[in-house]
Amino acid sequence: MNIASTIFSNLLAGDPREGRTLWLPPQDSNLAVNSDLMFWWINVVCYFFFIGIVIALVILVVKYRMKKDRPFRTDGPLHHLPLETTWAVVPLFIVIFIFYFGFRDYLNFMTPPKNSYEIAVTAQKWGWLFKYPNGATSDDLYVPTGRPVKLSMRSSDVLHSCYIPDFRVKKDLVPGRYSYLWFQTDNVTPEGAGHNLFCSEYCGTGHSNMNRKVYALSQPEFDTWLTAQSQWLDKIPEEELYFRAGPKLYARCMQCHSLDGTKGIGPSWKNLWARVNGGEDGKFVDGTSYQSQIGAGKQYQTPEDYIRASILNPGEHVVAGYANAMPSFKGQLNDKGIDAIIGFLKHMDEFDTKGKYLKEAAPSPKVSMK
Amino acid sequence: MTTINLSQPLDTATRPDNYLTHTRGFMSWAFTLDHKRIGVMYMVSVLISFFVGGVFALLVRTELLTPGQTIPGVTADVYNHFFTLHGAIMVFLVIIPSIPAALGNFIMPIMLGAKDVAFPRLNLFSYYLWLFGALFTVSSLLLGGFDTGWTFYTPYSTTTPAGGVIPALTGVFILGFSSIFTGLNFIVTVHKLRPPGMTWFRMPLFLWAIYATAIIQVLATPVLGITLLLLIVERAFNIGIFDPSMGGDPVLYQHFFWFYSHPAVYIMILPAMGIISELITVHAHRHIFGYKFIALSSIAIAIFSFLVWGHHMFTSGQSPLLNTLFSLISFSVAIPSAVKVFNWMSTLYKGNIVLNTPMLYALSFLVLFTIGGLTGIHLATLNTDVHLHDTYFVVAHFHYVMMGSALIGMIGGLHHWWPKMTGRMYNENLGRIACITVFIGFNVTFFTQFFLGSQGMPRRYYDYLPEYQIYHVISTIGSYIMACGFLLTAYYLLASLFGGRIAPANPWGGRSLEWQCASPPPFDNFATQPRVGDCYDFTAIRWDEKEQGYVVDPALDSTKNPQLAAKNLH
Repeated sequence: MNIASTIFSNLLAGDPREGRTLWLPPQDSNLAVNSDLMFWWINVVCYFFFIGIVIALVILVVKYRMKKDRPFRTDGPLHHLPLETTWAVVPLFIVIFIFYFGFRDYLNFMTPPKNSYEIAVTAQKWGWLFKYPNGATSDDLYVPTGRPVKLSMRSSDVLHSCYIPDFRVKKDLVPGRYSYLWFQTDNVTPEGAGHNLFCSEYCGTGHSNMNRKVYALSQPEFDTWLTAQSQWLDKIPEEELYFRAGPKLYARCMQCHSLDGTKGIGPSWKNLWARVNGGEDGKFVDGTSYQSQIGAGKQYQTPEDYIRASILNPGEHVVAGYANAMPSFKGQLNDKGIDAIIGFLKHMDEFDTKGKYLKEAAPSPKVSMK
Repeated sequence: MTTINLSQPLDTATRPDNYLTHTRGFMSWAFTLDHKRIGVMYMVSVLISFFVGGVFALLVRTELLTPGQTIPGVTADVYNHFFTLHGAIMVFLVIIPSIPAALGNFIMPIMLGAKDVAFPRLNLFSYYLWLFGALFTVSSLLLGGFDTGWTFYTPYSTTTPAGGVIPALTGVFILGFSSIFTGLNFIVTVHKLRPPGMTWFRMPLFLWAIYATAIIQVLATPVLGITLLLLIVERAFNIGIFDPSMGGDPVLYQHFFWFYSHPAVYIMILPAMGIISELITVHAHRHIFGYKFIALSSIAIAIFSFLVWGHHMFTSGQSPLLNTLFSLISFSVAIPSAVKVFNWMSTLYKGNIVLNTPMLYALSFLVLFTIGGLTGIHLATLNTDVHLHDTYFVVAHFHYVMMGSALIGMIGGLHHWWPKMTGRMYNENLGRIACITVFIGFNVTFFTQFFLGSQGMPRRYYDYLPEYQIYHVISTIGSYIMACGFLLTAYYLLASLFGGRIAPANPWGGRSLEWQCASPPPFDNFATQPRVGDCYDFTAIRWDEKEQGYVVDPALDSTKNPQLAAKNLH
């Protein structure tokens, strides 16, 4: 088992996390312990029956091959009630045992402790937003170690499912409902080795790119991070906003909006500012054009108004050729964040096609994302 | 009486009139009421669909060779269409109709010594419904395709911009009716057309399995029809049933869907189990062991199948109480399945085993079904399922059951009854090679996916983290090996039609009625109603050199010798 798992984990190039075995990824939550034990015992049962059945099959087939020149042997029994009852009843007891232990542990999965640290999770096509009690938000999940963490989750469009393999936890996010998921991890995540977080319920184009990282920090480190995270936008001076906050916020938009002109789920941001400023005219799905909607005395007084409305109420005017796919970012971006995006759009020529600022070496941020 | 006559060996030059030569021309097939021809038309259609579904499977596997884009032009959206089509075609067009509608149609009435099914016109109507359903489903491709997954989960399925969702739903709706009518037809046939002497517990086990399947088809499929209709109404007219933004409930859809689709898993596997019961006993030339336990376990599975749908929803937000009940009941399915496996193995004990191609498929089935069944324990257990749900572990598990068991069973049955259906023998050595190739390819493909899933790789992913690549590469190589096996199978089966040895009436030494009429069967199957004995009693079967097949030794035939019949009553 150990040799096999060493060989196998060596095959897994590029994974810095330790503790992977042949069957399971690193075990990093309190819930994983019993779940893995259960997995192991079920495996023992499976190996036992599988190997037994295969050996029996081989022996039977070899021993009772037909002899060409002899008449059929007809001395085999036709039925055997005690034997048949045995192999109906023995598996029954085994599976009842397995059921019971799986059920007992599952109740633990379903019962977040009262003192859990609560993080609000919103999933939408195709990203996650983690919101902490002090109002800070993040794209990756940061949790404190040594105490239970409860995710209170909702979806703003279709079904998603929050899955953290290293913690052995998973729960669907159902639009119109809240669902809970909890875990406790006691190990601080080593540098560069965040746990994977996947969306495991199919949700369309970007389903496979909703993976994020989970970082567990010690309580003091977590508190420091949390404070910084809640203030990072406020601390940036207005004049530096577009190049310091813009690219960082853009990370949540890049799933659908390219910077190099490629058509994505949504329109590319290349030349977008010029387009809405009366450059080449474009059409909306309802047949109206940019120029008939944007400008003094029209629906959107200024291009800034239009961008702001597109972020907060994206279904109002969908650009022709695109589906109404964008979720609202109401409550997720404050005015300063929207200002940063607008500034980013205005100064698009100062960034490369990945959103990297070209004018100077990226200014050392006083507030690190860790 | 039987058409085998020891004093008159079958003359290959003057083959007697059979169902293939009885009438000729396109119209004689298009409007035929003959169950055998309808069975053959189903078989051809199902195999063509299997080919198309297989091509999509290979496209999916090839795309997954590397993270991100592998095949030029296959974006995430195209990939989503691929896996959706693969799933929908394989489930609705291939596996569900394959055994009951194709093989069942052909074999069941002959096994009963009947001339046809109870309602031959309804039978033909079922086939045309299948054809229209298939055309609708495939035509959705021209209207923008559908990328919902074969499960059509809401609200994604009601909001996706893909244009072909409604035609596809309509297609599956129609296919459902085809399945219902076939089931209805078979239930009546088994009840009303059994020959004198064939009591319930003297029926071949294949008929028990088909009968249990038909019950599920009739009782479960209407729920799918209604559900899909509600989905169409919601998508087309914005009537809120499942979409929460219109006051609906998406979890309700999952309940409705799995209320059909879990029993549907047994629509797929039960008839395959029936085939395995036939294959093992005929190719081991040995009376089936524990007939009643096998027969009743089919009925038990059919009943349990209606009570376990919630195990697809352990992480969906379903209440813990429901999850607990569904977990407990799901485990109960293990019991009849275990009984069947152990009884099949006991049938080999003191048998006279010949490792023909059908027997190799039956043995493959035993191994693959064992793996598929045992890994079901991981998924029925609540705490481990939380980790494994919606990962490749589930993908591997259900491929072991739906492909490794149901489809392998079907292909085994196809080989078993091929001489009966076509009147030709295929190349036995190529058959064995192909079977072993498919077996190896299958395990390389799907066993790898157990590791992939338990290591945390979710299903339906176009892109993935580099740490999973090695498993994907191995799995894709396996799928190519499997494809080679199937292509070889297609080759020698087609070749046998043109150059194959003429099949004797009873090439394997079977005892049930279909081996007592000529290969291929005459138009009316039997000139007079045959007498029925114990269809698993091989004492009277003898190899005959002149016939190059097996014959029933009249001196030892208990159907003609009352004393022997009395002696054989155990």
